[in-house]
Amino acid sequence: MSGSLLEVKGLKMHFPVHGGLFYRQVATVYAVDGVSFDVRPGETVGLVGESGCGKSTLGKAILRLYDPTDGQVFFEGRDLAHVHGKELRMLRRDLGIIFQDPYESLNQTHTVGFILEEPFRIHCVGTPEERRAWAKDLLKKVGLPESAFERFPHEFSGGQRQRIGIARAIALKPKLVVCDEPVSALDVSIQSQILNLLLDLQKEMGLAFVFIAHDLAVVKHVSDRIAVMYLGKVVEFSDADELHHKPLHPYTQALLASIPEPDPSKSVEEKPFLEGEVPSPRNPPAGCRFHTRCPFAQPRCRTDIPELKAGPGVAPEHLVACHYAGELKPKS
Amino acid sequence: MSRFRLDPLTRKKFARFARIRRGYWSAVILAAAIGLSFFSEVFVNSRALVVRYQGRWYFPTYGAVIPGKTFGLDYEYETNYRRLKAELAAKSGSDFVLLAPAPYNAYENDLQEGIYPPTAPSFADGHYLGTDTSGRDVLARLVYGFRTAIIFSLLLLMCNYTVGISIGCAMGYFGGLFDLLFQRLIEVWSNVPFLYVIIIVASIMVPNFFSLVFIMMFFGWMGMTWYMRTVTYKQREREYVLAARALGASDAYIIFRHILPNTISVIVTFIPFSVSGGIVALTSLDYLGFGLPPPTPSWGELLRQGTNHLDASWIVLSVVLSMIVLLTMVTFVGEAIREAFDPRRHTVYE
Repeated sequence: MSGSLLEVKGLKMHFPVHGGLFYRQVATVYAVDGVSFDVRPGETVGLVGESGCGKSTLGKAILRLYDPTDGQVFFEGRDLAHVHGKELRMLRRDLGIIFQDPYESLNQTHTVGFILEEPFRIHCVGTPEERRAWAKDLLKKVGLPESAFERFPHEFSGGQRQRIGIARAIALKPKLVVCDEPVSALDVSIQSQILNLLLDLQKEMGLAFVFIAHDLAVVKHVSDRIAVMYLGKVVEFSDADELHHKPLHPYTQALLASIPEPDPSKSVEEKPFLEGEVPSPRNPPAGCRFHTRCPFAQPRCRTDIPELKAGPGVAPEHLVACHYAGELKPKS
Repeated sequence: MSRFRLDPLTRKKFARFARIRRGYWSAVILAAAIGLSFFSEVFVNSRALVVRYQGRWYFPTYGAVIPGKTFGLDYEYETNYRRLKAELAAKSGSDFVLLAPAPYNAYENDLQEGIYPPTAPSFADGHYLGTDTSGRDVLARLVYGFRTAIIFSLLLLMCNYTVGISIGCAMGYFGGLFDLLFQRLIEVWSNVPFLYVIIIVASIMVPNFFSLVFIMMFFGWMGMTWYMRTVTYKQREREYVLAARALGASDAYIIFRHILPNTISVIVTFIPFSVSGGIVALTSLDYLGFGLPPPTPSWGELLRQGTNHLDASWIVLSVVLSMIVLLTMVTFVGEAIREAFDPRRHTVYE
């Protein structure tokens, strides 16, 4: 796809586990294991999945906060996974990240002003006075008073801190921002404010988002396209509406079914809940990784790894990784 | 400038420190003593503070030697101001000499005819704490010895911390093989018997002030590395470091702007204990005779004289009491800092 801003191809992020007397590698955590998807300019791609499925790792590996084990991350045609030093630092001007925990992602010892001037300082743009003015503009943009400039992060509430984190991420006018569960640590009432702020900024600045969340309801609200992850792999990738109405993968179906519906007439028991725990990414199951919990699992699922390909009877851009996609009827 | 403002948490810690009276006042007194010790020449000196001679003013404390001829005496070497004072007083003119409160320096042997040193404390002679076995003023040697010890200790601290913090920080930040190699190296290095090395070195060359600092740093930098390594390791995984890296910050930027400011409380907590450690180390080396070369005024050397001449109790008493007071105060400061910077007191569950 030539129109893509970001194209992730077969990205793998494995973490070695060392132990024993001679610090040998005793195991490997397959956090992200061959993920491919793409992001077009100005669109939002949602990444959903249970905790521990590798979505945050994927987000950080895209930005080269980790060195990927294998695969490519093309950002405007350049492979982020294989650039180094100055080139990487220059590319980072076009990338931003918003973290989940606004208490952790701001350094307590710095003032808000210092934090917001930091992107400019790191890239040596502007004079001190200009940086100050730009930082104040950023505060205005994210809806914080100018008086916040001289104050310290701990004087703010969670939502306000997340606004500071967002201001920092957009300071250099990036083209792509990875939002790593930006609202999961916040109150529900604050969540929508932050989401709307993100959407406003997207419209205003033409940002593309990779929006990571475990809450499908939130992702559905903000995303143009959604990638569903399970144990280090993308199991379904499609247009948000399409995914909502025609989920093909049994895992997606289960996730969608687990969104609570504000309908008192529906009984909770009717819904198909997933049983069991997510298997350990240290020792993922062979074949389809979902087969241990899949209600439709067949013998073939235990041995053959399903590929991510266009699903039957849906739009061509609706990709799914299931041998029996389309043949399964969701119970509901 | 926002950059130089202390963050509120650190300010809270200092406010807590100020509320711990014992530690706070010890710190104030120590700071004053250290500050004043740099002007010891004004208080303890054989040179006079002010001389008025034949209508002219002289301030001999600092500056070049004023030969005796200047004041109409019959010698070219430095004026003996105590004698000059007696002579001018006898003449009862408008000329006078104002001596320092303790009119002896740390090096001169005040040998009086018919008396074998050490001599007991005497206000009439101006030897407020008596003289040592060579007839040198004990007070002068205490005061200048304190200055030597504290400068030595602070210099050693700076050297130790510079090396220890840099290496510890690098170990924690870069991790991996670098970390592993240095851990083993430090373990081996820590087991080198420091005292033997000093004895060997001292037998080859007489160490001077700076070479002694260097030798002690050579075997003293390891202590700080462990703490710095741990703290850095912890900070490195924090999300704000990731955030800075995602913005394109270099390793140096992250270490100096993000990690070090967050490790200050650890460093500050260790400073007083390192200071007292440095003083004790220098004193014990001097006591054993492997420290600074004589006749440098030092507490260890005074202590050795004192223990060899227990009948001259003023020597051992004055140095032991000074040691006790100094080390107790430093420990009080250390305690108060540790208490004020205790992270458990500042943990806020939000």
